[in-house]
Amino acid sequence: MSATERYNRQILHWGQERQQKLEAATVLVAGVGGLGATVSQLLTRAGIGKLYLVDDGLVNWSDLNRQLLYHETDIGLPKLVIAKQRLQQINSSVKIELLPKRIDRSFQSPVDVSIIADCLDNYPSRFDLEAGLVAGSFLIHGGIEGDQGQVLTLRKGKSQPLADIFTGIRKPQGEIPVTGAGAAILAGFMVNELFNTIFGQPQLLDRFLIIGLSDLHLTFLEV
Amino acid sequence: MVKIQFYSLLRMLLKQEKLELPPCENENIERLLQRLQQQITIPFIHKLLNEKGEMFPGTIIMINRRNIHHLEKLETRVHDGDVIALFPPGAGG
Repeated sequence: MSATERYNRQILHWGQERQQKLEAATVLVAGVGGLGATVSQLLTRAGIGKLYLVDDGLVNWSDLNRQLLYHETDIGLPKLVIAKQRLQQINSSVKIELLPKRIDRSFQSPVDVSIIADCLDNYPSRFDLEAGLVAGSFLIHGGIEGDQGQVLTLRKGKSQPLADIFTGIRKPQGEIPVTGAGAAILAGFMVNELFNTIFGQPQLLDRFLIIGLSDLHLTFLEV
Repeated sequence: MVKIQFYSLLRMLLKQEKLELPPCENENIERLLQRLQQQITIPFIHKLLNEKGEMFPGTIIMINRRNIHHLEKLETRVHDGDVIALFPPGAGG
């Protein structure tokens, strides 16, 4: 099986040159939950060169409605260990590095990463993630809650910091409502933007794409 | 005119994307929101401010792309041509 055969359907869409860019790219996925499990899977299926996965969680029953990498037999096991196992079963050519920790103020991005997917579920960790990035890095932020979500691309050092845009915002108390369909749709938009960024043409740089899932609206908000 | 744009849950609640109001002299964000509520029959201001008139931590209010927390918060003055965005983002991942 050749790479051309494996990726034939997407090469028909974006061409060999972009496929080579994808295979040379490294992406860090912060949080391998509702968004991150699907983001990392789609990147792996597409043939991304290298993934860093960051998470410190264990698989819970309440994850299974939307976190597509995990099964009932994984309950209680570390998400990262299972994620790497499943992703390598999907595509063994992708290099996967695990960073089993919670993102806090000590976080520093690996030096070979310039594209980061923010799939986290709380604002303090998002701000710590952004603070630990190398200048010039692209941060693709995603968030979902109930029937709404947003995707935004920022460039560290050039864009408004995420921490400035979201100043004053706090996570609501209790569990955040998220459906499997909602997480998959948002993750799909994030991966589409990750591809655009890898290809050098981010479409959401300094502007939110805001998605309403109940009335199916898409709007932009410049920041 | 002052343009007010509604996003996500607010857009769904109010069933509209935006509204334009003529500017008022020396008006700030808080008074603009109160004037806006008078123009819209659907109650929404309780989603943004508590009974003391303080901002809830679930919605970003931006004026010309800047979060008002970096300006003078609800006291930020509004001028002709300003664009106000009311956006309650999704927090989960």
